[in-house]
Amino acid sequence: MASEGASGGMPDPIHQFEIKRLIPLDLFGYDASFTNSSLFMVIAVALIVGFLLFAIRGRALVPNRTQSLAETAYEFVANMTREGMGEQGMKFFPLIFTLFMFIFTLNMLGMIPGAFTVTSHVVVTAGLAVLVFVTVLIIGFAKNGLHFLKLFVPSGVPIYILPLVTLIEIISFLSRPVSHSVRLFANMLAGHITLKVFAGFIIMLLGAGAYGAIAPLPLLGAVALTALEFLVAFLQAYVFTMLTIMYLNDALHPGH
Amino acid sequence: MPDKRNGEGVGRGEISPADKANFERRVGDLGKQLDEARSKQAENEPEDSAVRARGMAYGLRMASELVGAVLVGGVIGYVLDQWLGTSPWLFLVFFLLGFAAGVLNVIRGFTRLQAEIKEATRGDIGRALPDDEDD
Repeated sequence: MASEGASGGMPDPIHQFEIKRLIPLDLFGYDASFTNSSLFMVIAVALIVGFLLFAIRGRALVPNRTQSLAETAYEFVANMTREGMGEQGMKFFPLIFTLFMFIFTLNMLGMIPGAFTVTSHVVVTAGLAVLVFVTVLIIGFAKNGLHFLKLFVPSGVPIYILPLVTLIEIISFLSRPVSHSVRLFANMLAGHITLKVFAGFIIMLLGAGAYGAIAPLPLLGAVALTALEFLVAFLQAYVFTMLTIMYLNDALHPGH
Repeated sequence: MPDKRNGEGVGRGEISPADKANFERRVGDLGKQLDEARSKQAENEPEDSAVRARGMAYGLRMASELVGAVLVGGVIGYVLDQWLGTSPWLFLVFFLLGFAAGVLNVIRGFTRLQAEIKEATRGDIGRALPDDEDD
């Protein structure tokens, strides 16, 4: 991690998030270049598809190690879906499983030193959150028609504060894609900056003569943070998926 | 694995009584070892880590739920202010409404988590509390 940004003594913790155009491309006035971010998304998709296809190639009743890993991933998300939405939620399983695997793989790829963390950019996470938000809206209105708006009008509220409560409910609903995307990107961004800063401390202390003696301290910190970041990488993918399930469930059954 | 392969080359249904007794003893031993290992694992590992992961996920969620709603409320108010020329009143009103929505989000999340834990532990949650109070 520390190797890539050490330009002129002081390592730059933000450098790792820089978008580089690998294949410049201009589509109708929009910059649609193939960037390092796109590259890592492609790598992630290739890894997921490749791994799953490789794992289930035998289709054995008694799975080998790779197959049981793939089955574990499937069952983990399937159980989450069934818990959150019941059996009918399995209709959305392809979307949910794809989201989980994509985010999880991107987060984990970001943990490789020198790799680019796609999920540390709010554009990407906001894109995913808006995808979920729009899906919820479409399914909500398609399944319930205008009854979906009941989500904003809780029952049993006195009529004179109903407008206020409805307004609050609408803001609460609109805040979903915001918190959904901000949480993922902020956690990844902050975690990677912290890692980089700690790694930078090591270099700075080593270059500071006698103070180099305490350089192992930030090294220990960086090691511990790396472990924590692996946990966060998984937890964030888990939280994103869980909330997707929760929101989809609200679309199927509006009115708490 | 403590258990050796039972490879005497004896066909189906041709096990001598001594072999059978030996086999049953070993199966019993293995079962006992398995039970021991399971109880040891149950003491400190799976339940605990699953609950902890859920708790951490919940904690990571709630802060952003609150902030997200305040942000959305503030932005709505600001945009309406710019549009209607009522600065700064609608911003203030919607900022507070956003805060209310944030608190609502957190309360809802907590209620849901509580229901989930209650279901997962089959109402076992909170049993320690009344016991303590009895003393």
